[in-house]
Amino acid sequence: MTAAINEDNLFAIIIKGSLSGGGNLVIEGRVEGQIALKNHLTIETTGKVEADIRAEELTINGEASGNIDASSRVAINTSAKVAGDIKAPRVVIEDGAVFNGSIEMEVKLPDDI
Amino acid sequence: MANTVIGSSLIIDGEISGDEDLVIQGTVKGKISLKESLFVESSGVVEADIETQNVEIAGRVTGNIAATDKVELKSDCRVVGDIKAPRILIADGASFKGNVDMDVKG
Repeated sequence: MTAAINEDNLFAIIIKGSLSGGGNLVIEGRVEGQIALKNHLTIETTGKVEADIRAEELTINGEASGNIDASSRVAINTSAKVAGDIKAPRVVIEDGAVFNGSIEMEVKLPDDI
Repeated sequence: MANTVIGSSLIIDGEISGDEDLVIQGTVKGKISLKESLFVESSGVVEADIETQNVEIAGRVTGNIAATDKVELKSDCRVVGDIKAPRILIADGASFKGNVDMDVKG
C-alpha cells in the first residue's frame, strides 16, 4: 500500500504541517513541516521537501532540506539535492548527487586508531 | 604515472606529499597532500588530514579530507572526519561520521 502526493497536485496542493503514517509514501509534490513515517519514504525527482524527516527507509531523487533520521537506510540518488544532517545506520550517496550537511552512521572504531 | 605503495607492514608518522598516485596498505599518521589520487586499501589505516585530487577509501581513515575532484567511500570502509569535495560517493556498507561539504557550482 503506497500513498502518493502527486506532481499533478504540485501547484494545487502544498502540504504545510506535520505528516505521519504507517504505510509507504511517495512524494512527487511539495511538503513543508515534519514527516514521521513508519515505513519507506520516497521523494521523487519532482518532489521538494522542506521538513525534518523520520522514517525507516528514505530514498531521495528530488530535493530535500531538513534533518533526516532513518532507522534503516538513506539513499541519495544521482538527481538528488539534499541539505541537512543525516542520522542512519546505512547511508548511500551516488555520484552526481549534491549533499551538504553532516552524516552520522554510528561508526565503531577500534581504540588503537 | 608511477605508483607508490606503502605496504601493510609499514608505519609512517609524519608528512607525505607528492605529485603521483599513492596506495596505502599500512599505517600513516600525520598529513598527506597529493596532487593525484590516494587509495586507502582495506588493510590501510590513516590518521591524518588529507589533501588530494581523488581519494578512494576501503580501509580506515580518521581526519579531515579535502579533494579537488572526488571522494569515494567504498563498502566496509570506516571514516571519521569532515569531507570537502565537489563529488562524494558513499557505497552501501560504508561507515561514515562527519560533515560533508560539496562545493556546488551554479
